[in-house]
Amino acid sequence: MNRKLITIAAACLITFFTVSMAFALGGGNGRKGKFLYRKNCYKTCHEEKVGGLSPANKTQAEWTAIFSDTSKIPCHDKWPAVPEKDLNDIFTYLHDYAKDSPSPAKCS
Amino acid sequence: MSESSQKISRRDFFKASGLIAAGAVGGGAVLGGLRKARAAAVPVKPWDSKFSACDMCFNKCGLIARVEDGVVTKLDPNSKFLKSRGMLCARGNAGIDQVYDPDRLKYPLLRVGERGEGKWKRISWDEALDLAAQKMEAVRKDYLPCGHLFSAGTDLHSQFVGRFAEVYGSFNVTSHESLCLVSNNRAFLDTFGEVPFADVLNSKYIVMAGANRFEALVTPDSIDLMTAMRENGCKLVTLDPRYTKTAALSDEWYPVKPGTDMAFMLALAHVIIGEKLYDPQWVEEKTYGLEQLAEHVKQYTPGFAADQCGIPAEAIARIARELAEAAPAAMIYPGRRSSDYEDSTQIRRSFAIVNGLLGNWDRPGGLLAARVVGLKGVPYEAPWYDENHEDRIDADKVPMMFEHEGSFLLTRDAVLAEDPYAIRGWFIYKTNPMATVPNRKKTIEMMNKMDFVTVVDIAMSDTAWYADLVLPSQSYLERYDPCSGLQGSSACACVVKRDPVIEPLYESRSLFDVMKGIANRMELGEYFDFTIPEYREKQLRELPGAEKILDRDGVYYNPSKVYGIYDGRIYKTLSKKIELYNQRYEQMGIDPLPVYTVPTKVPANRFRLVVGRNALVTQGSTANNALLHQLLPTNTLWINPNAAKKFNITDGDLVEVSSSVGRQEIKAEVTDRIREDTVYMLSGFNTLSTRQHLAHGNGASIAEILEGGYDTVTGNAALHTTFVTVTRKVA
Repeated sequence: MNRKLITIAAACLITFFTVSMAFALGGGNGRKGKFLYRKNCYKTCHEEKVGGLSPANKTQAEWTAIFSDTSKIPCHDKWPAVPEKDLNDIFTYLHDYAKDSPSPAKCS
Repeated sequence: MSESSQKISRRDFFKASGLIAAGAVGGGAVLGGLRKARAAAVPVKPWDSKFSACDMCFNKCGLIARVEDGVVTKLDPNSKFLKSRGMLCARGNAGIDQVYDPDRLKYPLLRVGERGEGKWKRISWDEALDLAAQKMEAVRKDYLPCGHLFSAGTDLHSQFVGRFAEVYGSFNVTSHESLCLVSNNRAFLDTFGEVPFADVLNSKYIVMAGANRFEALVTPDSIDLMTAMRENGCKLVTLDPRYTKTAALSDEWYPVKPGTDMAFMLALAHVIIGEKLYDPQWVEEKTYGLEQLAEHVKQYTPGFAADQCGIPAEAIARIARELAEAAPAAMIYPGRRSSDYEDSTQIRRSFAIVNGLLGNWDRPGGLLAARVVGLKGVPYEAPWYDENHEDRIDADKVPMMFEHEGSFLLTRDAVLAEDPYAIRGWFIYKTNPMATVPNRKKTIEMMNKMDFVTVVDIAMSDTAWYADLVLPSQSYLERYDPCSGLQGSSACACVVKRDPVIEPLYESRSLFDVMKGIANRMELGEYFDFTIPEYREKQLRELPGAEKILDRDGVYYNPSKVYGIYDGRIYKTLSKKIELYNQRYEQMGIDPLPVYTVPTKVPANRFRLVVGRNALVTQGSTANNALLHQLLPTNTLWINPNAAKKFNITDGDLVEVSSSVGRQEIKAEVTDRIREDTVYMLSGFNTLSTRQHLAHGNGASIAEILEGGYDTVTGNAALHTTFVTVTRKVA
């Protein structure tokens, strides 16, 4: 039973990351992305362990590179199953408030 | 006001400043000595001394409040506070009169007459908070969360207005900054990748265009400028249509034709590039777009600029050479308020570009990057509302608006047009758009669009006067405030906090308590489930020991790096260099290099009305201060003697000043301290609110006369584009 569950979970993860690597980046809802980032990423990984990861920690090009191949993100295995649309919203938030963006994020 | 009475005011000011300086270097001991002599007979502690930070303008200068029997009797500067160089200005001293102002709001008031009629009913806090919450719920239900607007001024509690707006679900938050500095910030951010701080103290040559640092005080710049000039031999060149106190103390003053600063700056660039006066290695390594800039500025010769701005071509060329000679310890001072013209961002881009050519970034005497302060944010997980509008009401009207500041003028137009949607609720904290936003009648129309307006303030401002519900806030000496990180250029990077110095007066409450009270009534209480001291603990979590130092000294300093912060780091621009030529602008269809546009000619028999400051005025919040009123009893219209003669106006005459949107009556101050084509008055006077007894019916309201143009890049207000007639009133 356990082995069956693990197989299903692994299949889900593979599907998720395959999809996430293929989706078109940008044009999402950055406002919702901020909410989703806080909900899915910040509390899980980036609050305590990294001292708070903000969109302004990276350039737009760096965020684009990261989201072009999410499997290379060190904490990717801790991600919940985020739908593609939500992932793009998160990317849009991080990209649009990156350190070299017109409106770099302030701490919040 | 006559010139002679102005001199008396100035003497009074310096007298006050002398006392303040005495306080800074030991006045406390002198005055304390007198107290101690008296205390010898009665062995009681004469006063308690409590640290705080001033709130009479945005600078937050460190102070020590002397408290006797629960009453603040004096405010002294905190000599350990490096950002203000141990100074507390006249306004800072006048903070006492803000706290004990007899006109201060004392309890919650509900409007019972028409808007602006001045009929109010006293209600309890419970009633007030119930009503505010109920009205906010109603607006959210009928118009979606973005149907409510939130506006907050510069204050350490304003962040809680933003937090409330976010958890409520509204994207529509405006600050004061789109009436002030956003175009300057835009220009420097888009050139250097961040907004710089000027190392005035170590500069050898400063060109100050439009800024008036000896009256519109910015710490430490105002104090450091004097030190730099008197002790370090710094040369100051000022461009201003008015002979300000800064102009008076400058080495050179040019009464520049308003709106032509960009021509001057581009001509400086023309000379510096043409004569190869820049550091080629630095410019090659650190900047992007020199070739394009060189080609662009070929047309902007000193002769061309001279024709535009009225400054001799020889002087322009000489200033360019002198600047380059002093570089990198030289600068075009970035300034602060840049809400002047419809191309104010591009004007400041020209300032930034010349700084780029001077190679002064991140170096002594130049422009500095923000230092590490060490305060941390306090994140929260705001809820998401699917049923909502997609964006701010002022979105997509200009290409480069700062979303976290918004544009007040664009918001107002959108509210009036109900385009793209309706806004029917407005919560306002410690900002006074009726006094600070051009075209007051239009702001009244905006008020009339609202179903319900709540204002939290210390005084019955004109904005409160037109609200539905007015809630009395605590002064800065009566409340706990979150910590604030301050950038003090080469002086310091520091943290301040405020604890109550006295018990809150009347029924006043802090904004935080108001937000918490409303949130609790709207099932949003979880987002305000903390105290300010708990909040500060989170802010200070990576600065161990800082709280103790704050209690001991009233300020905490982070000994972070001052210069060379960018060594080995990229610039936060698309090219990763200082962008003389802005690539993003090109992509967005904005001129990647500033293109000079000849300002609209002043029509015959009219004047350009310009805005400015003196050291006794903070926007619309100080005209009713009893102490400041003694030093500055009213505002006047500065008009040049030649112009006055043409219109048969003599000093002290009552004149009517009219624009296309309004008219006001004010006394003329005939003075050669202003150009013939320009007139000027201070803001904050002639309130509509009768509950500001020193400001109501006194002088003129500039907000009533100014028209509502805006910068086409950021939406910042264009406050220097109004032309007025001036007519002598016949007795």
